Amino acid sequence: MMDNNSAQRLPGPQAGAVKFTMLLAGVVLLLMMIFGFVMRAAQGNLIDLDPAMFYQLLTAHGAGMVGTAGLTGAAILWYFMGRYVPLARGVFWAFLGLFLLGVVLILGAIFIGGYGGAWTFLFPLPANSGGVWGTDAAAAFLLGYVAIGVAFLLLYLEVGRKLIAAYGGIGGALAWPLVMSKGAAENAPPPAVVAAMATTIFNTIGTVVGAAVLASSLVNLYFPEFKVDALLAKNMIYFFGHVFINASIYMAVIAVYEIIPEYTGTPWKTSRIFAVAWSLVLLFVMAVYPHHLLQDTVMPAWSLAMGQIVSYLSGIPLLTVTAFSLIVYLRKADAMRWDLASALLVLGVAGWSVGSVPAIIDGMISVNKVMHNTQWVPGHFHIYLILGEVAMAFGFMMWLIGKPEHKAAGGFNWAAFSAYVLGGTGFTLMFLVSGALSVPRRWAVHAPEWVLQSQIATGFALLVIVGAAMFVLRYLLGLKHSAGR
Amino acid sequence: MPIQSGVLLISLVLMAVVAGFFISAVRASRKPDTGAPREAVRTRFIYALLAVGVIVTAVSLRPWPHAISAANGPSATVNVTGAMWYWEIDRATVPLGVPVTFNARTTDVTHGFGVMDSQDRLLFQTQAMPGYVNQVEHVFRQPGVYRVVCMEYCGVAHHAMTNEFTVAAAN
Ligand code: HEM
Ligand SMILES: [Cu+2]
Repeated sequence: MMDNNSAQRLPGPQAGAVKFTMLLAGVVLLLMMIFGFVMRAAQGNLIDLDPAMFYQLLTAHGAGMVGTAGLTGAAILWYFMGRYVPLARGVFWAFLGLFLLGVVLILGAIFIGGYGGAWTFLFPLPANSGGVWGTDAAAAFLLGYVAIGVAFLLLYLEVGRKLIAAYGGIGGALAWPLVMSKGAAENAPPPAVVAAMATTIFNTIGTVVGAAVLASSLVNLYFPEFKVDALLAKNMIYFFGHVFINASIYMAVIAVYEIIPEYTGTPWKTSRIFAVAWSLVLLFVMAVYPHHLLQDTVMPAWSLAMGQIVSYLSGIPLLTVTAFSLIVYLRKADAMRWDLASALLVLGVAGWSVGSVPAIIDGMISVNKVMHNTQWVPGHFHIYLILGEVAMAFGFMMWLIGKPEHKAAGGFNWAAFSAYVLGGTGFTLMFLVSGALSVPRRWAVHAPEWVLQSQIATGFALLVIVGAAMFVLRYLLGLKHSAGR
Repeated sequence: MPIQSGVLLISLVLMAVVAGFFISAVRASRKPDTGAPREAVRTRFIYALLAVGVIVTAVSLRPWPHAISAANGPSATVNVTGAMWYWEIDRATVPLGVPVTFNARTTDVTHGFGVMDSQDRLLFQTQAMPGYVNQVEHVFRQPGVYRVVCMEYCGVAHHAMTNEFTVAAAN
């Protein structure tokens, strides 16, 4: 067995491809953040933006950010699974190629075709734009999603079949023997494998459901006599959307399980409670989606009650297993090494945990009645995306380039980290405040009394962008440095 | 206090507590012997969260938040229909102090029927979806003008899709 230090130097099987992917992701994140900044500035009346353009930016930002979160999660999954099972290299390139094809289709649909139906393509909005965009633009957008969906299915097929072969079936990879108290903890697969197997399963199911509703929407675009049930379509879209964005976080946390032990000196082990937690996550992620439909009173009451209850339950594995264990490891460490990578990875788990609070509260039907589709919603999800998933992705990037840690770098890194955390905190808190003041989300034009929060938020957004730009710059320099060695 | 302020307050406190645990762990990470919590603490934590969950669930789902009271006694019904990009409401005045049931429909895409009071606080909402009638009930406690807004993204004039109605004591 190698010790932790040599493991750090051990390149993943496709380190080059993963590094390239993370560079692309970093640049796209920056661009999408700028789109977000422009939207918030427009809501704050700081700039004059045509509503049609606002909604196009909203669509690009939503689809672009969710897609990039998925991309970074997938790269992390691929990189670390390469440590445990032999993965076919071509699959990753096919994944990336299809993904980029999807990006081109989506960007074309939005900025050439004028599509502004939001990333959720809620049926029948893509087909019925009120004259703003045409059928072909909507179709290009949906086809872009199909390409990305196929990309993910390919990737999961490869990861899934290799894990199943190496760990004796799905149950083996999910550490079920340990769950049933039949196996010893020493023989259980590592945490990263358990997490990878669980996300592979639920995101494959999510993507297939997404593909089905995309296909129906596409057929309906050209053959309107092919009727789609709006409630069914909505259920499928939110199932897919919820599972996909959650999968990106659950994939990214693999980086925490794999990298943090190098810093604390204690390996992250698969315990019984860990295995139980991940099997529950697998279930909860799929069962919770009706919390997006709490204001559809025609939904069966039991499903809405389930949405509320599972929404609460979903917080328990996160808080009592991943967050709790991380806190234990940190407290146990005597001389934890802090650098940009470890700081961002810990931030990622902290932001995810903190963001789960307003999410769970909004998952209560009575609260949701006055908070649903207010800016409370972007408030909570930006916490666990900016300060959660994306923080983990940046942390992974910093770890990938190793650490050229001279004094000057320390100051630069600390400045970048502070800007990012301060900006992210302020930016998301302003969304929560706006939500509590009943400001609806996805409004291009705000009432005068709401403008102040948007203006303050715009300032914080700038800080986030400065921090993120410094991360990307540090990554670029690090790549150059490591290439020159 | 409007429910939104309570929700914000509770959220901020709980978020600060969660953040506090991380901050103190980060502080402890460079010091030896800072006493990490043992497995028993985790178990207790899980049971505590489950217990809180049971109580919160029971309290918050009873009475059922979407209940429509069977019209025994005075009540009123209002039909609202969303269309790109306006709201049609079949009555201009709605009675004060009695249960009012809103039937929300749409003629085109999905809209969100939301009602705000004179302070622009959202009081309730429901989705207006093609092929379905979503019902929501509310008892108005204050006379005055109430604003109807759209709470589901429906295209380029979504933010401009507003209307209003008046709440007045029924004679
Ligand atoms: C500087 C950073 C960012 C800024 C300034 C920003 C800004 C915004 C704004 C203004 C909105 C629309 C709010 C509204 O509905 O009124 C929004 C929506 C959204 N953002 Fe961000 N954002 C940032 C980072 C992120 C990140 C990192 C992610 C995900 C990885 C993300 C994902 C989303 C999503 C999914 C939506 C919803 C789009 C929709 O409603 O259709 N954002 N963001
Ligand atoms: Cu609307």
